[in-house]
Amino acid sequence: MTGKILVEGPVTMEIISVVLSAEDRKNETGAYSMFLGRVRADNKGGRVVKAIEYSAYESMVNHEADDIKQAILLQFDDVVSLEILHSTGVVKAGEISLLVLVTGRRRHQAQRACAMIVEMIKERFPVWKKEIYEDNSREWQQPYLA
Amino acid sequence: MEIKVLFFGVLAEVTDTMFRHYRNVESFSDLMLRIRDDYPTIAHYTYRVAVNNEIVNEEPQLRDQDEVALMPPFTGG
Repeated sequence: MTGKILVEGPVTMEIISVVLSAEDRKNETGAYSMFLGRVRADNKGGRVVKAIEYSAYESMVNHEADDIKQAILLQFDDVVSLEILHSTGVVKAGEISLLVLVTGRRRHQAQRACAMIVEMIKERFPVWKKEIYEDNSREWQQPYLA
Repeated sequence: MEIKVLFFGVLAEVTDTMFRHYRNVESFSDLMLRIRDDYPTIAHYTYRVAVNNEIVNEEPQLRDQDEVALMPPFTGG
């Protein structure tokens, strides 16, 4: 993991391309596993989500990301590196708000590590979502229990 | 001691502030009492507390210039 975790606005295709290009130099690796989280246009009782405004506690996000990286590299010896990007600010429905990229020597550990990192982010990243609906009303999202 | 208190998510909204400094804080419980006195509405919300980026479950020993964050349940990812 090389840089900032939080990105202002959506994680664009240009940003994803830059992250992948940086990993491209690691010729000893044979697998990328990537997760992209996207803002859904959920219908909440007749109100449709048009965007989400993310807020975050940045220093703690960085702290948790370091912890997650250490735990993953300790558990998966085939994993070479990992990148996490998470949006802050407003992200429209259909845009990407989370990127997890795991680079490994082989696919199995890279895939398992990627899935585990997503769960760890949901549990441990101090980030909050406020839904913005088509009628411009706003509401804090409640945490999902499952 | 002086403690910086951060409010996140819905708590920033109900307190109408992102952060404030508390001076002459005697202990963690003293700090929490003063916060609840200043912002009684936060009693209606669930939140966890972090001290210097670490979530605390028991009463921590605060030190001068510590950063205390009040955080609603996380909804990131």
